[in-house]
Amino acid sequence: MSGPAWNTEGATETAAEGAPGERHPRGSRPSVHRGHRTLDVVPTRRAAPRLATGLTAGIALAVVLLTLRVVSPQTPSEGVPEQVRDFFTLSISVLVESLPFVFLGVILSIAVRIFVPETLFTRLLPTHPVARRAVMSLLGVLLPVCECGNVPLARGLLLKGLSVSEAMTFLLAAPILNPVTIITTYQAFGWDNGILVGRILGGFVIANLIGWLFSLHPHQEQLLTPRFEAACRMDHDHPETGARMRRSVLAFAEETSTMLPALVVGSAIAGAIQVGVSRETLATLGGNPVLSVLALMALAFIIAICSNVDAFFILSFGSTFLPGSIVAFLVFGAMVDVKMLALLRTTFTASALLRVTATVGLCCLVLGLGVNLLA
Amino acid sequence: MRDRFVSRWAGVLLSLVGIVATVWLAATGQLGLYIHPRYYVFTTVMAVTAAVFTVAAFAIVPASGPARDEERELGDEHEHDHHHHGHDHDHDHDEHDEHDEHGHDHHERDGHDTPSGQAGRRTAAVVGSVLVTVLTTGALLVLPPATLTTSTVDQRDLNASVAGPAAVESADLIGGDYSTFTVKDWASLIRQGADEDFFADKSATLTGFVTPDPDDPDNVFYVARFVVTCCAVDAQPVGVAVYSPDWASRFPVDSWVTVTGPFGANPSLASLQTIAITPEAINPTEQPNEPYVY
Repeated sequence: MSGPAWNTEGATETAAEGAPGERHPRGSRPSVHRGHRTLDVVPTRRAAPRLATGLTAGIALAVVLLTLRVVSPQTPSEGVPEQVRDFFTLSISVLVESLPFVFLGVILSIAVRIFVPETLFTRLLPTHPVARRAVMSLLGVLLPVCECGNVPLARGLLLKGLSVSEAMTFLLAAPILNPVTIITTYQAFGWDNGILVGRILGGFVIANLIGWLFSLHPHQEQLLTPRFEAACRMDHDHPETGARMRRSVLAFAEETSTMLPALVVGSAIAGAIQVGVSRETLATLGGNPVLSVLALMALAFIIAICSNVDAFFILSFGSTFLPGSIVAFLVFGAMVDVKMLALLRTTFTASALLRVTATVGLCCLVLGLGVNLLA
Repeated sequence: MRDRFVSRWAGVLLSLVGIVATVWLAATGQLGLYIHPRYYVFTTVMAVTAAVFTVAAFAIVPASGPARDEERELGDEHEHDHHHHGHDHDHDHDEHDEHDEHGHDHHERDGHDTPSGQAGRRTAAVVGSVLVTVLTTGALLVLPPATLTTSTVDQRDLNASVAGPAAVESADLIGGDYSTFTVKDWASLIRQGADEDFFADKSATLTGFVTPDPDDPDNVFYVARFVVTCCAVDAQPVGVAVYSPDWASRFPVDSWVTVTGPFGANPSLASLQTIAITPEAINPTEQPNEPYVY
C-alpha cells in the first residue's frame, strides 16, 4: 500500500474520532472515498508481514482464551443460587445452539452479497410482486437454515436490492416451508388432525399476507433501522469492488458485529424468562379451545425453540393441548419469538416488529381457532 | 477506532470466544450439557469454518479502511437530511434511544443531536459492546459448565410432557427389555396409567439426580432426568418416585444417585404418585457424561 494512501486513511480515522459532532463539508467526501478505495488495492511489499502479524495475533488470542477456559473452574461451586446457575446454563444453551446457525447464515449472506451475480435475482424472480413474494416464501426449500440463520441471510438479500416486504416474506416463511421442518413435523404428527397441513398452508398464507401488507407501505425503507437502511443505500449507490476474499472477511466481521451482540442479548432474555416464568400455569390451560391457543403461543414466544425440531418438543405435550393450539405454536413460534425479535431488531425498526408480531399473532390465533373448530 | 470496535472487532472477538468455548466443550465431551447430540457435528464444523474467517479477520481488519458506516457518518450526513424519511426523525429517535440500552447500535443521527449527545451515545455504544464481549467471555470461558438443577424442575411441571405419544409408545414399551429402560421410559409407563399389577413383578436400576416430591418432600424423592429436544432451554423434567423416608439427610438435592429396587404401590399417603420404587440400594454416583435423555 502506498504512503499517501495510508495517510488518507489515517486522516479519515482521525476525523471520525476527533470531532464526532462536527459537520464535515461536502468537499471532504471524495477524499473519504479515496481512503475507502485503498482497501481494495492489494498491498504488495508491506502486506505479507502485516498479514502474518495479524494471523499470529488472532491465533495467540485464541490460545489465551483457551488457556483461560482450561484454568477456570470445571465444576459448579456450591453456594451459587440455583436460579442464577440455571439462568447461565439456559442462556448458554441458547447461545451455543444458535451460534453455528448464525455463522451459517452470515456465510450464506456473504455468498449472496459477494459471489452471486447482481442480475441473478432480477432474471430469476417473477416481475409481479405477488408472484415474487410467493417465490421468496419458498426460498427456504433451497436454503434450509434455521430461523436465526435467516436473519443475516435476509440482510444480505436486502443489501442485494430486494424489497423489505419480500425479505419479510422470506423471513416468516422460510423456517416453516423448508424440507427439514416439514419432515420433522410429519414424523411427529403424520396427517393427524390437520396439524401438518395447517402448519404448511398457514405459514405460507400468513407470510405472504404480511409481505403484502408491508408492500402497501409507501416508504418500505422506513421499516429498516436507519443504520441498516443507510448501509443498503450505500451498497446500492457505491457497490464495493475489489478482492472478493478480502471483502468476505470484512463482511464477516461486520455482520457478526451486528448479529452476535443481538444474539447474546436475545439468549440472555430467553434464559431469564425461563427462570422467571413457571410453565405449570400454561399446562393447566390446555383444554380450553381459546386459552390453549393463547397459552401455546405464549410458550412458543418465550421458549424460542428452533423450527426444525419444535414439532418433537410440542409432541410431548400432545395429549394436553388441542390440535389448533399446536398448529398455532408451530406457526407462531417459527415466525416470532423473543430471540428472533432481538436478532430482527438489528435490521427492522421497533414499530415494524411490533406490527409484524401483532399481525402474526392475530393470524395464528385465527388459524388455531379454525383448526380447533374443524378438527 | 472506537467505531471500528463496535462495527467490526466486537463481532470478531465474540466469534472467537464462541468458537473457543464450542471447540473446548466438544473436545472435552461436554457439548451434551447444552445441546442435543444431533447438533454435535454441525456445531463443530461451523465453529471450525467460522474460525477460518475469524483468524483471517485479525489479518485483514487492521489493514482495512474505515468501516462503511464510519464513512457514511462523514460522507452522507448531509444527504441524509434531505432524504424522504427526514420527517420520521422523532420517531426514529425514540427507537434509537431504546436500542442503545442493548448496546449494539451506534448509528449517529445526522446533525440532529448536539455534539455532546452524539459523543455520549457513541461512548455508550462502545461501553455496551465491551460489556457484552466481557460478559460473554465470562459466561462461556470462566463459569464452569453446568447442568440444570431442581430450580428448573420446579418451574416445569415434572412428568408433564411424558403424557404425549400416548398409546403407541406405551404399547412399544410394554413387553420390551425392561432392564434397558431409562427414567423416561418408566416415567412414561407410570404416567400412562399402567397399573399396580403390571408393576408388581418389575424392578429397576435407575440413575438420575435427586429432586424432592413437592407433595411429600420428607419421604419421597424423584430420581429425575431432563429430556432435551433441541437444547437445554426446552428441557422437560421426568422422574420416577422413590419412597425413602428421611432421604434428605443422606442425599443432597441435585446430587446424582443410582437407585435399585422393585416397583410397588407408593406407601406415602401425601404423594400424588401412585407407583414408587422401594429402594434396596441407593448409591451416590458421578454425574454421567450425557446428563440429559433424548
